[in-house]
Amino acid sequence: MPQQPINNIGILMAHDSYYLLKKEDVQGFLDALSSKMSVYAPVKSEGQFNFSKLGKKQKIGLEGYINTEFPPKGLLMPEGETLVKYEGSTICEVFSSEKRAIFGIRPCDVHAILVLDRVMLGHGDIEEHYEARRKNTLILAMNCTEAGENCFCGSLGTDTLTEGFDLLFTDEGSHYHVEVGSAEGGRLIKASARLFSATSRKAKRPKLVFKKHIQTEGLEDAMKRAAKSSIWEKTAERCLSCGSCTAACPTCYCFSLPHHVDITKMDRGKITREADYCMLLRFSRVAGNNVFREHRADRLKQFFYHKLVYGKENEGKMHCVGCGRCITECMAHIDITEEAAKVMRKYGKR
Amino acid sequence: MVRDNRHTYRPRPAKVIKIIDEAPGIKTFRLRFEMQKDRKRFSFLPGQFGLFSLMGIGEATFSMCSPPRQKDIEISVRNVGDVTNAMFSMQKGDVIGVRGPYGKGFPVGDIKGKDIVIVAGGIGFPPLASAVEYIIQRRKNYGKVYVYYGVHAPEDIVYRYKKERWLKSGIKIFTTVEKKTGGWRGPVGLVTDGLKKLKLADVQNAAGLSCGPPIMLKFVSQELRTLGLEPDSIFLSLERLMQCGIGKCGHCNIGNKYVCRDGPVFSLSELRYMQEDVW
Ligand SMILES: Cc1cc2nc3c(=O)[nH]c(=O)nc-3n(C[C@H](O)[C@H](O)[C@H](O)COP(=O)(O)OP(=O)(O)OC[C@H]3O[C@@H](n4cnc5c(N)ncnc54)[C@H](O)[C@@H]3O)c2cc1C
Ligand code: FES
Repeated sequence: MPQQPINNIGILMAHDSYYLLKKEDVQGFLDALSSKMSVYAPVKSEGQFNFSKLGKKQKIGLEGYINTEFPPKGLLMPEGETLVKYEGSTICEVFSSEKRAIFGIRPCDVHAILVLDRVMLGHGDIEEHYEARRKNTLILAMNCTEAGENCFCGSLGTDTLTEGFDLLFTDEGSHYHVEVGSAEGGRLIKASARLFSATSRKAKRPKLVFKKHIQTEGLEDAMKRAAKSSIWEKTAERCLSCGSCTAACPTCYCFSLPHHVDITKMDRGKITREADYCMLLRFSRVAGNNVFREHRADRLKQFFYHKLVYGKENEGKMHCVGCGRCITECMAHIDITEEAAKVMRKYGKR
Repeated sequence: MVRDNRHTYRPRPAKVIKIIDEAPGIKTFRLRFEMQKDRKRFSFLPGQFGLFSLMGIGEATFSMCSPPRQKDIEISVRNVGDVTNAMFSMQKGDVIGVRGPYGKGFPVGDIKGKDIVIVAGGIGFPPLASAVEYIIQRRKNYGKVYVYYGVHAPEDIVYRYKKERWLKSGIKIFTTVEKKTGGWRGPVGLVTDGLKKLKLADVQNAAGLSCGPPIMLKFVSQELRTLGLEPDSIFLSLERLMQCGIGKCGHCNIGNKYVCRDGPVFSLSELRYMQEDVW
């Protein structure tokens, strides 16, 4: 399905301009940026990197950074964000106006954001809360130098970027190669011009070595043939239905819209957005206690099919970006690459 | 259909101007938007739905049961949970939040000139009642219209006050109860029993519309097929849990389809290609 550009957010054309930035100057660049907008970067805490807002002159430390534990979706759809506020008969919708940059975001996660763009801004209906955050967010992506234990982006082509970034950093040892991906990205360079030196060459990306792989050719068809397969029942025997995979997935966007009343003043309250997970029974429960995905296997299947089949059918882009977080987080050691391999062995065309 | 895409989730205030006690546990609410522009904006087709909210309690999905292009909108609500229970204590003059209309309704335009077989089960009646009202407003454009309505017991029957007007417009109504109580003299059994006796003059020129519990829809679609209706002439309105109503929250999906956006009305031929169990 050919995808129309959704709007100017989703499709940022790569500009042909390259720069070099000395590693010791990254701090200066981020400090300058912090004075203009919020800067989110991977910050290590309790052994894990996660995106966190940098404080004034906060030192950035990327030693050992492969990817964040949780994906950046939380920056675009923050858990528990207020969407609507009311007091008496006055009801108003609340939109974020925070201008920010996300630094150090990996290519797979940029691809995930491009998926979210297609869902939240596409299909003729714009989710304006997402849009408000998205259009105020600059993506300062960073290529990987090393693949993580569970990464398989190499099989999906999501280890590289040709769009979706304002700036793209590549670690070249003593310095970063910086590619400009948008006019806004170009302005950031200009604003800190003395730190950057222009170059005409492309980045030298190290070759990544992956331990995990997924075969994509013929996978969709094989999955369709596997719709009634016993594979799912079998794997579901181990599944805890805890929702960790969906929470960890950078493209899992499902949510609920609960109402909250301020108990100190009953005519005041809000509607928030809270992540919800198709792995949970309540996700599809309707009156009469009718649950459409009652069996754990049905819920597990929903996750795999949405990632590997439905997303591509609906948004023209596979919803699995190969970050491997669902594998890392699964307490039952369920591995999407292994499940896909089982499907291919049994249902793939030989 | 004009949809205001700005303000994704803000409900528009509407006043309750009439409450009808339909049956035990079912009430119909007539609502009037407080703002003129909201009244204009809320133009819908039978089978489309709205999201109705009581601030602080929550939001629930209902199909409008009134005809489109009426000044006020009506919904019939069965009390089954938190929001619906709170709605049941609403009084005339109270305000409720409304957003929508959402989804694809029954293809009332495409089925012009055809005989129409309508099958409603329990609280699945509202969107079909809207369709009947729509047809009555353009009676000459449609052929024979049959309404099969199944309820649990006679006291559950809704829209009694509409019956005479509908009959006068040549709508044939067959009501079946599962359990006979009081002085009920009509048929007892399943809604599909009556359908079995239907003889259509030209099945190629007929369409079926249905809404009700999943298990009923399954049997109704089989029965309509047995009558000879083509899968692309059978239209079913499905229920799924809804939160956003606009295809973003993921709650209502069946395979790669979203009931709120691609439905809630689907043709049987569309349902055949669903990648997940429908019933
Ligand atoms: C397109 C569409 C059109 C509809 N049209 C109509 C209509 O015209 N009229 C109508 O009456 N209804 C209609 N419905 C159904 C209606 O939306 C629901 O009945 C309503 O949303 C219930 O809201 P509630 O807050 O009162 O119930 P909730 O409080 O959400 O509960 C509903 C039911 O869910 C179950 N439940 C919820 N949470 C739990 C839990 N934690 N544990 C166990 N059980 C739980 C219970 O069985 C409960 O009875 C329609 C639905 C759709 C999708
Ligand atoms: S109700 Fe949210 S996607 Fe359908």
